[in-house]
Amino acid sequence: MSLFSSLSVSASGMSAQRTRAELLVENLANSETTRTPEGGPYRRKDTVFQSDDVASPFGSVFQRELSQGVSVSEVAQDSREPDKRYLPGHPDADKDGYVAFPKMNPAEDMVDLMSASRGFQANVSAMSAVKDMINRSIDLLRA
Amino acid sequence: MIIPPISSSTAISGIAPAASPASLGPNGGAFQSVFQEAISHVSSYQQNAQAATARFLSGEDEELHHVAIATQQADLSFQLFMEVRNKVVNAYQEVMRMQI
Amino acid sequence: MVREAECFESTQIDWPEACITGGMISGVASNLEHYMDLLSARQKLVASNIANADTPGYRTKDVDFRSELMGAAHAGSPSVLEVEGLAVHNDGNNVNIDREARLLAENAIRFNVASNLVRSHLRTIRMAITEGKNG
Repeated sequence: MSLFSSLSVSASGMSAQRTRAELLVENLANSETTRTPEGGPYRRKDTVFQSDDVASPFGSVFQRELSQGVSVSEVAQDSREPDKRYLPGHPDADKDGYVAFPKMNPAEDMVDLMSASRGFQANVSAMSAVKDMINRSIDLLRA
Repeated sequence: MIIPPISSSTAISGIAPAASPASLGPNGGAFQSVFQEAISHVSSYQQNAQAATARFLSGEDEELHHVAIATQQADLSFQLFMEVRNKVVNAYQEVMRMQI
Repeated sequence: MVREAECFESTQIDWPEACITGGMISGVASNLEHYMDLLSARQKLVASNIANADTPGYRTKDVDFRSELMGAAHAGSPSVLEVEGLAVHNDGNNVNIDREARLLAENAIRFNVASNLVRSHLRTIRMAITEGKNG
């Protein structure tokens, strides 16, 4: 427990940021996808974070207050109407010749991806700083 | 999981009879009580350290540096006690060797 | 022999207290221990803040270090409070990642200092004990 719970907090941060990055990469890869298994064009996905108690069987209320992890509470799909472009020769064109494309802003997603990467690195630094403190405490046991 | 107590605490209670030989006489009583008190202090440090270690190992919220400092304090107080005891025993033996 | 015993009883010094418990072994270490407690509590909060840097509605948490250090030392757990004066983003989150990064480094360094001070203090006592053996 104690400082070890803070390692779990950083780990939860890392995995949340990684999930966010994975979804952003999926969005970027599918920015022109007009056909999906569910029908219709690809819909942009977004992660929603929420703060969480880090699982621990013994933690007192106080310890839980100190160690708030993060988890992905839901993956929100873009529910807006997809963009329509006039491409009569396209295999996915409807009867009027319009093809539905994903409503996306790749520049926005790139910036988001950078932010996710920075967040991930920050959590890695936090974990290594805490690990260092734990090692110093262990050093107290030596000479 | 039952954590067995550190054996040095039983060693502490074994020291008390050896430090107060009967030949000290009536004036040895004060010294004996000082020793008994010292033993109880040292033993309380040891119990502190054992409790902190047990709490940490069983996963409850005990900080690692508490455990480290408590065990070091227990070690040091025990070491000091042993040195004092050795000195006392040596002094006693020295006195006993004196030619009357 | 009798005179020695009288001297011994009248000196008013509580020998066990002075030799085994008082000052040396517990004194300095207990202040540093309290300091290390506060530092590790603060570091836990920094880690939580960093993990929740993108959580909507999350507010930066901290402990009031100075007053906890001065105040009732060793009194259970420090109280967690929300930090004032931080810019709030559109989603309600007010974590400033630069502030957290600074605190992360600072806490680690301070903890390092405290643990080294404790070690050198313990080493001093140990040296006194082992050197006194031959004295």
